[in-house]
Amino acid sequence: MDNFLIGLFLATLIISIFTARLYRLIFWYFVNSLMLGLLAVFIGIKVHDNALIVSGVITLVLKALIIPYVLKYLSNKFHLQRQITPNIKVHYSVILIPAILVFTFFIAEPISHMLQANPNDISISISSLFLTLILMMEHNHVAPKIIGFLTLDNALFLLGITATNGMPMLVELGVFFDILMAIVIINLLFKDTGVKA
Amino acid sequence: MIIFFLLLPAILMFIVSFVKTDKIANLLPLISFTIIIPNIMLFKLPYPYHLVGNYLIVDKLGDYVFLVSSVVSIGVSLALMTLHKHVNIKKRAYNRFYRFFALFWLGLILSTLSNNMGIYWVGLEFATLSTVYMIKINYTSTAHKEAWNYMIVDTIAISIILFGIILIYASAKPLLGDNAMNFNALLAHIKEIKMPFLFEIGFAITTVGMFIKLGMFPMNLWLADIERASFYPVPALFSGILESAVMIGFFRFSKIVMQIDFTQLFGFVFIYSFLTIFIVAFLIYRAKDFIRLFSFSGIEHMALIALFWVSGGTFAALLHFGAHAFLKPSLFLSTGVLESKGKYHIAGALRGYKGIKGKIFWFIVGLFLLAIVSVPPSPMFFSEIYGFGAMINMAKHTHHMLAMIAAIAFLLILLSIIFYRFTAIYQSMKYGGTQEEKKVYSSEIIALVILAVSLALLLLPQSMQYLRSIS
Repeated sequence: MDNFLIGLFLATLIISIFTARLYRLIFWYFVNSLMLGLLAVFIGIKVHDNALIVSGVITLVLKALIIPYVLKYLSNKFHLQRQITPNIKVHYSVILIPAILVFTFFIAEPISHMLQANPNDISISISSLFLTLILMMEHNHVAPKIIGFLTLDNALFLLGITATNGMPMLVELGVFFDILMAIVIINLLFKDTGVKA
Repeated sequence: MIIFFLLLPAILMFIVSFVKTDKIANLLPLISFTIIIPNIMLFKLPYPYHLVGNYLIVDKLGDYVFLVSSVVSIGVSLALMTLHKHVNIKKRAYNRFYRFFALFWLGLILSTLSNNMGIYWVGLEFATLSTVYMIKINYTSTAHKEAWNYMIVDTIAISIILFGIILIYASAKPLLGDNAMNFNALLAHIKEIKMPFLFEIGFAITTVGMFIKLGMFPMNLWLADIERASFYPVPALFSGILESAVMIGFFRFSKIVMQIDFTQLFGFVFIYSFLTIFIVAFLIYRAKDFIRLFSFSGIEHMALIALFWVSGGTFAALLHFGAHAFLKPSLFLSTGVLESKGKYHIAGALRGYKGIKGKIFWFIVGLFLLAIVSVPPSPMFFSEIYGFGAMINMAKHTHHMLAMIAAIAFLLILLSIIFYRFTAIYQSMKYGGTQEEKKVYSSEIIALVILAVSLALLLLPQSMQYLRSIS
């Protein structure tokens, strides 16, 4: 089950890179966060870690429900441009994404063998980090960049789950709090501007 | 009780910033003075003092950084009182600045006094996010663009730091469990860790994130662009407080890594710092305005601090760190007056001051400009001597003495380029250009005097002894 969820996590991230519409991108962020939350809950149940289950539930509520809703609300409120054509053309992305995946499996090999976790999971987590950076780089508009760094946070959370079976609860809560703070700041930046975002 | 006093200034500032009266602009700087109360209390405590279990611990290093940051924050709040006389700012923006300053202060407390890598990261991220909106109080399209730029670049830098922390945690968790997040536990058990390679990779990634945040190689320009677009108290906060919060993390992480692989740590930081100073020396040479000049100079000093620290010159690094934290915000705060006739009017910027306030201003700013390039008796002069001395001492135990001497000589050549540029600018400011009258306000003078006295106090034997005891 965890392999299935990690696979879907990666798949949603890859689809996000090809997406050229803002609402569609928010939807893929929602699915990405949903997979992450379910994975945390699933692993939490498997290793009997209540803290990880709680983190998973918070991820589901915050990242899969509240943040996508707020992002859609903000894009409506501030009339953000919905056509977000990526700068990297599709035929280049088709080559680039597998190259990143293979490269990550290659460079993550020495690390993943040191950890008790499944080596593939670690490699996918690290490749997700690179893919989110591609997502941020390939757009000129602010909105997809925001979704990019929210997905980057998801990729880091995935690494935390797969490499360490979750970080301490207090730290996880702090990270969630920081994400909320980021959303408040994003709202304020959009609000007090006459500049097109 | 101490926690209450630590949080009190931030909570008071946050609440008062919602009050909509004109007198708030004067009340808020007074509130910032209450920051000094917890500092006095912390200095009376036995080290290490557990503030909140194993999560927040006051040690000598944390206390020193917190004190320096507190003094800078008081100086910045005082200079803020007359911000509206130098730039076009709305009253509402003042309150918002303080609201985020309060949140920033909470983040700083967490990151400075934290004994936990995760909490350190949470505090740093919180402090960083709080400063995003401070850039935006300048209602221009450039500031707006740079606020977004700051948000995105800093978030990437912070994410890289978290990536490294996760790897460090993963390497130490089999041995220490949840305690693998604690700096003290890691320091005590680092040699027992079975995966030092993973730990080192984690450290290298964390350090890259921190160095991006500090504007070091190859990300040299982004910080200067952002500071140029903001009102001058914002770069003062960045250079005096936020950079200190990043550096304390570097100090704590590198102290642990030194125990397992000193050679690789030194090589990594040395190359990084060397490249940074090489690039920045020429950027300083080409700088056309004060903010960019001071911003690049800040990057150079951060590189030197990191280099001295990993060379074993912890005393030199801490002295340099303190001197920079007092000098650079003072210079940024003085740009409000220096740039009052235009941001590219360097020639004659130190002329045209009348009255006692004017004379004190040009005298202090002139001294600071020379002190930042290590003209004696600046604390930076001593810290650089001790720092380069530490590098030579370190090389004595290896077979690379000649290489180290050559590297130091090359570094001194780069530093002399910076020295030349600063002295040329000083001469142009004092003796060039035309004499145009500039207005200086009392609060600015008080801020500069507070920071100048703090800088002078660093040279006291007691202060030096305290810094030595940290190392």
